Parts: sequence; structure tokens; C-alpha cells
Amino acid sequence: MRFKTLLLWDMKFQARYGFYLLYGFLTVFYIVLLLSLPLSWKENAAAILIYSDPAAMGLFFMGAIILLEKSQRVTSFFAVSPLRVIEYVCSKVLSLSVIGMLVATVLAVATNCRSLPLLLLGTFLSSVMFTLLGVIIATKITSLNQFILATVPIEIIAFVPAVLHLFKMTPAFLRIYPANVCMDLIAGRDFSLIGLILTMILIAVLFVVAYKCVGKMWQNQGGVKL
Amino acid sequence: MRTIRLSFLHMIKFVRQDKMLFAAMIAPLLAGIAIHFAVPVAEKELIRMTGMPAILFPYYSLFDVFFASITPVMFCFIAAMVVLEEHDDHIDRYLFVTGLGRNGYFISHIVLPAIFAFFITVVLLPVFGLMSMSVAEIFFLSLAGSLQGIIIALLIVTLSSNKLEGMAVTKLASLMMLGAFVPYFVPAPLNLCVSFLPSFWMGKAMAEKEPVSMLLSVLVSMGWIFIMKKKYDRKI
Repeated sequence: MRFKTLLLWDMKFQARYGFYLLYGFLTVFYIVLLLSLPLSWKENAAAILIYSDPAAMGLFFMGAIILLEKSQRVTSFFAVSPLRVIEYVCSKVLSLSVIGMLVATVLAVATNCRSLPLLLLGTFLSSVMFTLLGVIIATKITSLNQFILATVPIEIIAFVPAVLHLFKMTPAFLRIYPANVCMDLIAGRDFSLIGLILTMILIAVLFVVAYKCVGKMWQNQGGVKL
Repeated sequence: MRTIRLSFLHMIKFVRQDKMLFAAMIAPLLAGIAIHFAVPVAEKELIRMTGMPAILFPYYSLFDVFFASITPVMFCFIAAMVVLEEHDDHIDRYLFVTGLGRNGYFISHIVLPAIFAFFITVVLLPVFGLMSMSVAEIFFLSLAGSLQGIIIALLIVTLSSNKLEGMAVTKLASLMMLGAFVPYFVPAPLNLCVSFLPSFWMGKAMAEKEPVSMLLSVLVSMGWIFIMKKKYDRKI
């Protein structure tokens, strides 16, 4: 019940700050863009769009979300409430994954994707991974500029190999690289089972790190610039 | 003039604290190196894999349009974030009643970063551009990119009330750059649907080598800036 309330609160927060409106507009824009591309480009373009935007939105927005919560002292209230850190982290991850998966579904249907279940699994895993990374970084920074800078290396590590992999420009052993596994799933291609297991392990590790970082942030709640 | 310079230097000092200034200076170089060296390599690989005569080559000028847009958009985005931060902290109000005034604030926080971006683009574009360009084309792309940066900064500041909304609006506003794609992929007259975007005319000028489109790009940008400046004055 408590988790459900928090999840709804997070979704309302995101709606209030225009996330749903923004992604509604972006979805329409992406559909128009994809439909205007040559047929041979469409499939790969859709995979890149889904992986780099709706799936990665947690990495883009989490800094601003947590900084706003910090500046409004919301996290201080969470710290003294019965709410548990695990619920907070899960709520952040799920609320953003919902938007990502909704957008991915619409784009997939509009572009006749190869396999919707695989695409949704890939989008969900990417979304969880990026949101957890966003949470970890956001707990350690005090301004949005710092967050933007800190996410750049992660974007390079996560996006460049995945895009190269999509165009089959990476060595075969990199099929097990989590970003590439997610890209394979989103593109509806054969994926590495070992890679999928590695992705799950990575998510579990990120979850533990995010859990510890949020717990520490709640304990050390201090001043912050937004 | 002195107040504008001081206000600009104050903003630079503010941005330097977060190492954002260093990132803003290094990012155009990295983007330039990536485009100049990685795109031709990717083209060779794609040709080898597909057996087609050319894949990315017809769009090399589109890469140049994007490169010309990157530096101004980045500089103006950082400036817009500072404006939002100062607006949240009510600092801007105090600055308006000094000799700086509203227009001085606008020039020091939005226009000067765009002017700096213009000069950086003029220098970097011939070095890292994929196509050989005339002086007029380099000047035009740098100018159009800088005007687009001002429009994006004005959109961010005008449409958002805090940094979270600023991030969302940034995402939306940065789509303005994608208008450059349209002349390359969408046939006329259908592509005129996005003719309200300055980037469309930038793309058209480079894709079809039309000097008239260069002029139209600047005119459309000026129209945007005129409208957005009025909204900005009402909000700030």
C-alpha cells in the first residue's frame, strides 16, 4: 500500500513537471521522423531512438528530480517516515520505466518491430539500468551542472558500443556487454544468454549501490543548489 | 558596456565552479574530432558491409550543419541554466535595478555566449568539417547556429519555471535542430511543413546549395528571437 502510494506520487510528480506531455509530444515527433526515413534505415533508427531516449530518460532526468526533492526537503521527510529506501528506489525505477515502455510500445507498433516482447524486455532492462545509474550519481552531486557532467562518461560507455553493435561494428565477444544485450533485445535480434545474465547481475549490483547511496543521502541531508 | 562585461565575467566564474566551463570548451573539440575522424571510418565500414557505393557520404554536409549547431546550443544551454538558477534565487531582480538593466542582463547572459560560440564555430568548422566550404558558407552556418542557440536559450528560460522543467524543455527545444534532416529525407513541397524552423533552412542551404535559404534561415531566426524576447521580457 505504502509503495503503491509512493509510486503514484512519483508518477504525479513526473506528470506535473510535464514528463508525460513531453514524451507524448516526442512520441508523435519520433513517429513522424521514423515514417519519413527510408525503409532500410527505419528499423535501426527506431532501435537507436528507443534505446537512447525513452529507455535512458532516467539518466537524463534523475539528477533534476532528486535535486528538486532535496531542495524542497522531501527526502528529509522520507528519512523520518516509515518509508524504506528499497521502496524509494523501486518507485523511482518503475515510475520512469512506465513512461519508457509506453513510448517504446507506441514506436514499436508504428514501425512494425520484429518482436514486441523482446523490445519491451530490452527497454525495461535499459531503463532500470540507466535510472539506477542516475540515482547513484544524483545522490552524490549538489548542482545540475555537476550531474550533467557526471553522466557524460556513462553516456559514452553505454551508447557508443551499443550503436556500433547495432551496425555490427563490434567484435563478437562484446555481445555479452550489457548495453549491447539491451540493444539486441530492442532491435529484436538474437541475444546472448550469458550477456542477459550479466545484465541482470549488473542491475543487481547497481541496485545495491543505489540502495546504499540513497540511505547515505537520507542520513546526510544537507543544503543543495537547484 | 562595463556592466555587461562584469556581468558576463560573473557568469563565467559561476559556471567555472562546476567545471562546466571546461566541459563547454572541450566538448566542441571532441565533437569535431569525432565527426571528422569517426564518420569517414564508419562510412568505409558500412560500404564494406553493405556493398553499396555510398551511405553516409551524401549526408556529410548534414554532419557539418550539426557541428555548426553544437557549440552555440551547448553555450546557450549553460547560459539558460544560469539564468534559471538566478531567477530561482531572485538574483536577477537585483541586477535589473543596477546599471546593467534588463537588456544588459539579456546581452551578458544570452547574447554574449552566442557571440563567443559564433567565433569558436568559425574557427573549428573549417578544421573539422567534412565538406570543403566557402568562407560565406562557414560564416552563414556559424551565424545561423548561434542564432539558433539564442532561440533555444530563450525557449528554455521562457517556458520553464525551474531546472527540472528546464531539462524537459531543453529536450523539446533541442528538437529544433532536427529540422536540418528534413530537406535531406523529405521531398518538397511536403518538407515545407517545417519551414518555420531555422534549421530546416540551414539544411536546405547546404543540401541544395541555395544562397536564398541562408538568408531565409537568418530571417526566420530573427522572427523567433523577436517573438521569444517579448515573452522573455514578460517572464523575467
